[in-house]
Amino acid sequence: MRYLVGLALAIISLSLILSGCDAMGELGINWHGLLGQFVSFGILLALLIIIGYKPITKMLDERSQRIKESMDQAEFIKQETTKTEQMVQEQLAEARKQGQDLVAQAEQIGERLKEEARQQAKKDAEAIVARARSEIKAENEEAIAQLRKEFVDVAIQAAEKVINRALDKEAHRQLIEETLRESTDLKEKG
Amino acid sequence: MSKLGLKSKVAIGLVLALLLIVIGGIFFPVHQPDVHLSANYGGHVPEPFYKLGPIYITNTLITSWLSITVLVGLFYFATRRMRLVPKGLQNLAETAIETLLGFVEGVAGKKNGRRFFAVIATIFLYVLFNAWMGLLPIFNFIGIGHTGTESGAFFGDYSGFIVDVAIFRAANTDINVPLMLALVSFISVEYWGFTSLGVRTYVGKFLRVRQFLLGLGYLVKGRVKSALSAILFGAIDIFVGILELLSEFVRIISFTFRLFGNMTAGEVLLLMMAFLVPWVVAVPFYGLETLLGAIQALIFCALTLVFATMAVTPHETDHD
Repeated sequence: MRYLVGLALAIISLSLILSGCDAMGELGINWHGLLGQFVSFGILLALLIIIGYKPITKMLDERSQRIKESMDQAEFIKQETTKTEQMVQEQLAEARKQGQDLVAQAEQIGERLKEEARQQAKKDAEAIVARARSEIKAENEEAIAQLRKEFVDVAIQAAEKVINRALDKEAHRQLIEETLRESTDLKEKG
Repeated sequence: MSKLGLKSKVAIGLVLALLLIVIGGIFFPVHQPDVHLSANYGGHVPEPFYKLGPIYITNTLITSWLSITVLVGLFYFATRRMRLVPKGLQNLAETAIETLLGFVEGVAGKKNGRRFFAVIATIFLYVLFNAWMGLLPIFNFIGIGHTGTESGAFFGDYSGFIVDVAIFRAANTDINVPLMLALVSFISVEYWGFTSLGVRTYVGKFLRVRQFLLGLGYLVKGRVKSALSAILFGAIDIFVGILELLSEFVRIISFTFRLFGNMTAGEVLLLMMAFLVPWVVAVPFYGLETLLGAIQALIFCALTLVFATMAVTPHETDHD
């Protein structure tokens, strides 16, 4: 409002000065033309503000705001993506590590099992061998005992035949057993 | 004889055609234009076509309204249906406004730029459209006149219709238009200066008596040596302030006559070229005038912008 008052005052005063001056008149300066131009310019200014500058600057601001927002959003999304990627990478690495651990563990277990089996097998084999050996020994001893018994009988029969007299069978047997033991002892010592 | 390429043949043909046109133009004379400074060629107050109260409708006012109509129409159709993704005319208008806004904000800063923008952009567009529309062929050759015979520039006489008062005349060549723009620029600058700095500070820019009064104070206290130097520098300060105040008003005159002189000279140049060698010789000068119109519009709005920026900048207090 103050602006308009100032404008009007300036126009009036300047027009008065100018209209009183002949040289100015030669150039075509006159307050009628000046006033017409002022009115025209005022109308143009008002119209351009209403239909031109206001909507366009509003639109420009809106657009720059939009662009800024989308840029921010894009930046945010980019950051998120980077973060997610990093997370995925971390998870992948962890999974890989876990997998490797599992494999290593399994290998270890396998190794242990193999070792155990080997040990077991060895033990079993040894046991079998030992049993076999003891059996063999037992059989051997039995066979020796059998043989000895048979030999004693044979020897008794032979001695009966040789001396042709009936000896006390039990006494003989004792005697022979004793002899045999002695001989065996001798053999073992010798 | 060496063979000529197609390009050279076309060039030679064009040159020959141009020569023919120029020579032909000389033999078909145009009457000597009447050059007047005031609108409607009147005396102190031109004869208007029509009086609308105190407003006299002269030929330059008609063309002003023509440019206003074109401008308003352009912006109306550009902003009628605004879209976020611009197209066609909206794109053009937005580019123009954005460029201007960038220019204004670049000089005056974001906040002041928005304040100055409407006036400065309107000055630019008004001057530009007045200048460019003045180059249309309807200007200066349609109007009230008489049938008569006048001698041409070189050969023969021109006989036919002679325009006495043209209906359309480039608005910038009426001194009331540059004067009005200069006054708008001046008033706007002073208004922005007062409202931005406050009356005291703004008036203080021109009324620099602080140093001088300080010197008088010293004199009263009896410190003669410092008093003398303060009074001397105070006197210089006062003189500078008066010069600055004067320069504010001189701007009105320089604004007015820069635009008026350039535009009127341009129009006279075009009319004279058309008179001396009709038909084609004036064409390069039309190109020149197109450029000149844009330059004058830019100068007018840039100077207003610079003065406004200067006015709203607080003066550095150098004697503190």
